[in-house]
Amino acid sequence: MSDIPAARALPPKESTLFKELLTLYETRQLKKGLKTADQILKKFPKHGETTCMKGLVLTHMGRREEGVDLVRKGVQLDLSSHICWHVYGLIHKGEKNYKEALKCYTQALRYDKENLNILRDAAQLQTQLRIFDGLVETRHTLLKIRPAMRQHWIALAVAYHLNGNLAEAKKVLEMYEATLKNVPDYDVEHSEALLYHIRLLEDMGEFNEALTMLDVNAKSRAIVDRTAIMEVRARLLSKLGSDEAEHAWRVLVEHNAECYDYYRGYLSNLGLTLGCQDATDASASKALSVLQEFATQIPRATAPRRLALTIASGDQFRELVKPYILSGLTKGIPSLFSDIKGLYQDQAKQQIIEEVALAARDQFSSAEPSSSASTDPTSYLWTLYFLAQHHSYLGRHPQALGILNSALDHTPTLPELHMFKGRVLKRAGDLFGGARCLEDARLLDGQDRFLNTKSAKYRLRAGIVEEAHALLGLFTKKDAPSPGADLEDMQSLLYLVEEADAHNRNGNFGPALKKYMAVNKVFDDFEDDQYDFHGYSLRKFTVNIYMNLLTWEDRLRSHPAYIKSALAASRASLFLIFVAVHDDPSIATAATATRQLTDAQKKAKSKAKKAAQKVLDDAKKAPAQANNNDDKGLEPVAKDDDPDGTKLLQCADPLEKATSLLKPLAKLADNDIEVWIATYDVAVRRKKYLQASKALARVAALDAEHPELHIRRVTFRQTVSALPEPPQVSGPILTEAVAKLLPDEVSLETFNSQYLQRHSTSAVAILAVAKVMVKLQTPPEQVEETLFTALDGSASLDIKTALAILAFLHTIKSPRADEFRTRCGEKFELSTVFKSASELAELRELAIKAPQSVPDKVEDIP
Amino acid sequence: MNIRPVRVEDLPGMQACNLQNLPENYTMKYYLYHAMTWPSLSYVAEDHKGRIVGYILAKMDEDEKEDAEPHGHVTSISILRSYRRLGLAKKLMVQSQRGSMATIYRASYVSLHVRKSNRAALGLYRDTLGFTVQDIEKKYYADGEDAYAMRLSLKP
Repeated sequence: MSDIPAARALPPKESTLFKELLTLYETRQLKKGLKTADQILKKFPKHGETTCMKGLVLTHMGRREEGVDLVRKGVQLDLSSHICWHVYGLIHKGEKNYKEALKCYTQALRYDKENLNILRDAAQLQTQLRIFDGLVETRHTLLKIRPAMRQHWIALAVAYHLNGNLAEAKKVLEMYEATLKNVPDYDVEHSEALLYHIRLLEDMGEFNEALTMLDVNAKSRAIVDRTAIMEVRARLLSKLGSDEAEHAWRVLVEHNAECYDYYRGYLSNLGLTLGCQDATDASASKALSVLQEFATQIPRATAPRRLALTIASGDQFRELVKPYILSGLTKGIPSLFSDIKGLYQDQAKQQIIEEVALAARDQFSSAEPSSSASTDPTSYLWTLYFLAQHHSYLGRHPQALGILNSALDHTPTLPELHMFKGRVLKRAGDLFGGARCLEDARLLDGQDRFLNTKSAKYRLRAGIVEEAHALLGLFTKKDAPSPGADLEDMQSLLYLVEEADAHNRNGNFGPALKKYMAVNKVFDDFEDDQYDFHGYSLRKFTVNIYMNLLTWEDRLRSHPAYIKSALAASRASLFLIFVAVHDDPSIATAATATRQLTDAQKKAKSKAKKAAQKVLDDAKKAPAQANNNDDKGLEPVAKDDDPDGTKLLQCADPLEKATSLLKPLAKLADNDIEVWIATYDVAVRRKKYLQASKALARVAALDAEHPELHIRRVTFRQTVSALPEPPQVSGPILTEAVAKLLPDEVSLETFNSQYLQRHSTSAVAILAVAKVMVKLQTPPEQVEETLFTALDGSASLDIKTALAILAFLHTIKSPRADEFRTRCGEKFELSTVFKSASELAELRELAIKAPQSVPDKVEDIP
Repeated sequence: MNIRPVRVEDLPGMQACNLQNLPENYTMKYYLYHAMTWPSLSYVAEDHKGRIVGYILAKMDEDEKEDAEPHGHVTSISILRSYRRLGLAKKLMVQSQRGSMATIYRASYVSLHVRKSNRAALGLYRDTLGFTVQDIEKKYYADGEDAYAMRLSLKP
């Protein structure tokens, strides 16, 4: 660089110091670096590059605000310095502000076009931001500068591939391979690069070429991943319709006889499937004989025997399922039921399984230990366990409990029995009883984290939050600020969602929102995690899995935990501004529920707090990890100044927050009705009526009779017709959209009563109709009358809906709420959720009490 | 249960399985690091609904001196309690070792660490999988507990 601007030029002494400063920064000798920077700035306080470097060093030292300020100042002082822009880019990158960072790098590259470091960083940012045409250009430049670096070739091919130009990617790989000389044996990187090339060919539909390349390089041992060779080979041969395909799939089955994909591949190559629905009898029996052949050939494999059960039917099924179940029972395999419950879709199979299990029970119960040495008494126990699961699955809770109780009399020390009893109680609406059982299971093996997690989860389900923490703390890091903090650091989605839901149900919206947002943060982190791999994976040549990483990242938020949290958080934020409680009655009752803490509950709460405190105190005794490293990095340390989510609750823009949470779901969860309902609810409050109508249209396309849609068809028309004047641009379109959802000529009353007529036996529909009635100012007695029809024998009422109806009765201040509650209690005889507040307080105590004084049968307590 | 090589989309399921079962936990980045560096070494077991019920998270040990034999290391292996007694741990281990460690990376042995107090795991590694105790590493775990360093030869 010959033409250095005057303001940047330094005399020899300072120029040397500046070079030193760069080295000191590279080696993270921060204190020395700071001194050196100050030395230069003393004489040249307006030197932009030094100012920036000082700012960068300070940021690393944890003096972030000061540091970032200096960097900004430095850039202003020398706008044409690539160093200044590079430093500013680093700061943005540290803040995960990739867009701004890329802008800075682009500026930096204007003044130093061939800077390898900046180009590499820019490429990573472009990949992160999915700016693929820019990426191609950057990778091109890098390859031009350093063609000898193998990774630059691969990186360019990947860039073309990502940008949709597969042909160009292929060309690059071919040129790259031509440059290679003397590849050592067993070069894993080369092997990975070749596998990538083959995948590219497969993606392009050039199966023959792909197969040839695979075979040649497998033979020469250039590709060393045998599993990958076999998988790709079988797939390609199938796609080519080759006779060799069958053998290739067979080789895979022999290689890993428990992999379903290989059986699937083998069968589909023969035009057969693993499913039974769409298969004809002939093809099903053909598939079955294939699987049976494998089962005989590989006796240790369970997959073919299990897969055969899906396909078989009638007597053949009976013949196959009997040894399968009996072997599971005698081996005491706890997952036997969950393994085969998928077969219950078929009623006939259900029946056969029940018969087999009952026969097994008779056989095992009558077996005298002396007469048949082969029958272990535990077989009887596992049979009871299986039968209990069978009955519970079919909704026969009392029968399931009867069996479990006799099994527990037989052997009170098997945690699985307690666990399942807890599950039955939970399903039957006795959350406290369920929590009690899970705790009994946990107490049988305190070393087992699985039992610990389950017990804590059941406590959270029952709303016993603090006591759940006390349990979780037994396994979390002792030096963590709290059990929850450790689980959050470890990205436990299970914990975050369960805890958030528990707070939400308890009406503690601040902490609930806080945890829902923590789920969102976990996904933000997952998204950020890919950044380093945009460089790393290309250096390692593990391109195939890297490409899958990018796809996965793009679909990240389709994860159920994210969807659930986003929906719940948006609902919670709605509540905040629209205190019109009729909007969502469940929130209202939950909010009042916490105010009714009984003395016993308060006592329990303080006890649990003490227990949690003890964990903390113990943690403080543990030696703190010394951190001698002065380097705090470039990522800002997240300070939590809102541990209870109070600020989150009072934020000024809850609807904007909800909108951004829901936004990714429009693409990723397009078929989820709840997503569109929530989208509507937010949009209509933001007065985005057109967007709201589109969301409802989407719901209508998915399920035109959905009860939540019914309510919104009515309220949407009401909202739009109450507008002082229709929106100017979208007015006509909006009117048309409303009419499409609910024809103009139909009165709301008629619309509502017609809906009820169509769905008079659906409790959810009845509730929806009642909600609409309230909107239409129907007399309360009539609303109540309608709601009570949900209790009729003919109506399909489950506990969840019953609770929702009860909550709604409370919202409309119905004098008949208690009557409804009592009648639900009678209808769901095992449930406790319909007990009175004082009864619930007692049950809660029992659920968490130390075991000695607890009666064996919690559900017997009135 | 279906046993197959790990895919990227399995990693959250693996992480959830680990958190539910074991006291040693890792953030997603660490799972990604394994998958992105040694894509063929880790395996999962999934149930009929596609839920991850067990996994082996494995790597090649890189910290050794240059002339040392390459060897594999099991970072974590775990089966959900309700899916035990199916022999899944052994099946996962076999796929990872024979299928990949030995053939791709020519590992001569595989190592792992286990808490001294974890008798159940010790039994699995020693009796079922054939590992032997090589050494005791003092205070290997963050909470100060010792670890057994165990090994299994992969030489035929």
